[in-house]
Amino acid sequence: MTQMRLHLTFPEERVRDPIIYEICRKFPVVVNIRRADISLDSGWVELEMDGELADIERTVLYLRERGVHVDPLEKSILEG
Amino acid sequence: MNSQSAPHQESEQTRGEGASASSPKESKIKGLKCRECGRLYPAVAIHICEFCFGPLEVDYDYAAIGRRISRRSIEEGSKSLWRYHELLPVTGAPTVGLHAGMTPLIHAKRLGRILGLDNLYLKNDTVNHPTLSFKDRVVAVAMTRARELGFDTVACASTGNLANSVSAHAASVGMKCFVFIPHDLEAGKILGNLIYNPTVVAVRGNYDDVNRLCSEIGGEYPWAFVNINIRPYYAEGSKSLAFETAEQLGWRIPDQVVVPIASGSLLTKIRKGFQEFEKLGLVSPNDRLKVNGAQAEGCSPVYRAFVSGKNHLIPVKPNTIAKSLAIGNPADGFYSLDVVFKSGGAIAAATDPEIVEGMKLLAETEGIFAETAGGVTIASLKKLCAEGRIGRKDLTVAYITGNGLKTMEALSGALPEPVGIDPTLASFRKTVNPTN
Repeated sequence: MTQMRLHLTFPEERVRDPIIYEICRKFPVVVNIRRADISLDSGWVELEMDGELADIERTVLYLRERGVHVDPLEKSILEG
Repeated sequence: MNSQSAPHQESEQTRGEGASASSPKESKIKGLKCRECGRLYPAVAIHICEFCFGPLEVDYDYAAIGRRISRRSIEEGSKSLWRYHELLPVTGAPTVGLHAGMTPLIHAKRLGRILGLDNLYLKNDTVNHPTLSFKDRVVAVAMTRARELGFDTVACASTGNLANSVSAHAASVGMKCFVFIPHDLEAGKILGNLIYNPTVVAVRGNYDDVNRLCSEIGGEYPWAFVNINIRPYYAEGSKSLAFETAEQLGWRIPDQVVVPIASGSLLTKIRKGFQEFEKLGLVSPNDRLKVNGAQAEGCSPVYRAFVSGKNHLIPVKPNTIAKSLAIGNPADGFYSLDVVFKSGGAIAAATDPEIVEGMKLLAETEGIFAETAGGVTIASLKKLCAEGRIGRKDLTVAYITGNGLKTMEALSGALPEPVGIDPTLASFRKTVNPTN
């Protein structure tokens, strides 16, 4: 089992979609939301995701395909 | 992607607490504190609050510091950022980056005349030691702290200045060094690192993949990853820019500052540095201080949030020549936006052509060759002046954070060709017309 800590950013066109629910239904991962701030036109969620590494990777890929920006908790680590 | 500290965290934690109890020098650091929920942690290699996931910051004992620090004690200190040792998050004597900081603060009269500013100053970190950017400050502090915590290996993920600085400082003290880069980074950009002989790891993947891998590595290996598990200490090094500014202005806080925004940390720490000097009575408070930000339009998530009046940042895919500012989802973006809003400042953004014009303007008027980030700062300063946000009499400081020799490619085709002549006086007179 692996745990990842992720920062998800939801753009305006995705903020009303139940995407967290979708990933819990589609993939064998356990999601634990730790911090979030959602408004009508944007939002972010910080969560822990537990599961097999391959399942977590498939989940991240799905999130990206759904238009959610996925970063590690630290956001952009790569600096100039 | 677990952000745990090094495997030897337990022993380091114990060591840190013990030292805190026994050493008078240690007493200035109370520990780490969550910026969101205020929960306290020991001063070890961690960066995230386990309770709420908020970022951790160094928690100082300002009463103890106040008993030891004075203008005189600072003035008698070394000619480096370590003269502000009392306000930096290390417990012993500095061991890395002993010559970083104390860069010139230049009264930019010629540039000021063009921009309509009588009191414009430039903090010139293009000449920082040893790698010619402000990163030498944060890395000096991060690596001194990392050695105090017992690390023998340092790491970072970077496409430029940070990698340069980490590699050079690691070489200077014999630490093992890992630098992570995207595999398709231009060869020229890694030469400046390879000379210091770090292990450069080219990751096959895009920027997101590099970020994710580094987050995972930061949680797996007993390394000091300067902007992951050492970040609370690393970021504090930026305060020295504010300390030096205030001291070099004759112990004054400016009315306006213009700071480039990449991760956003630099801007927030410059504000914090001024606040600490005020809190300790080293300067008179200046309630007029406005903190302004500068971003490249091709990577401007903070600027976009500012102009839309929102506090949510939407990540972007960077597309700008200002590579050192190209951070699509800045860790401290929200906090920098908050500082700007609360101070009554503003954020401007510069297009790539404006960045080049800013570099040229700075060089032609003040003889300073800045990297593209400097072009962003000058172009943004120009806009803020044109918008009337900075007044002629305002005591204004703009931060020039890196040397132009690092981003020569940005000027390709932007400068005039040399004047070619035959080796004769006649050719010189005819072609150059030296009386003009």
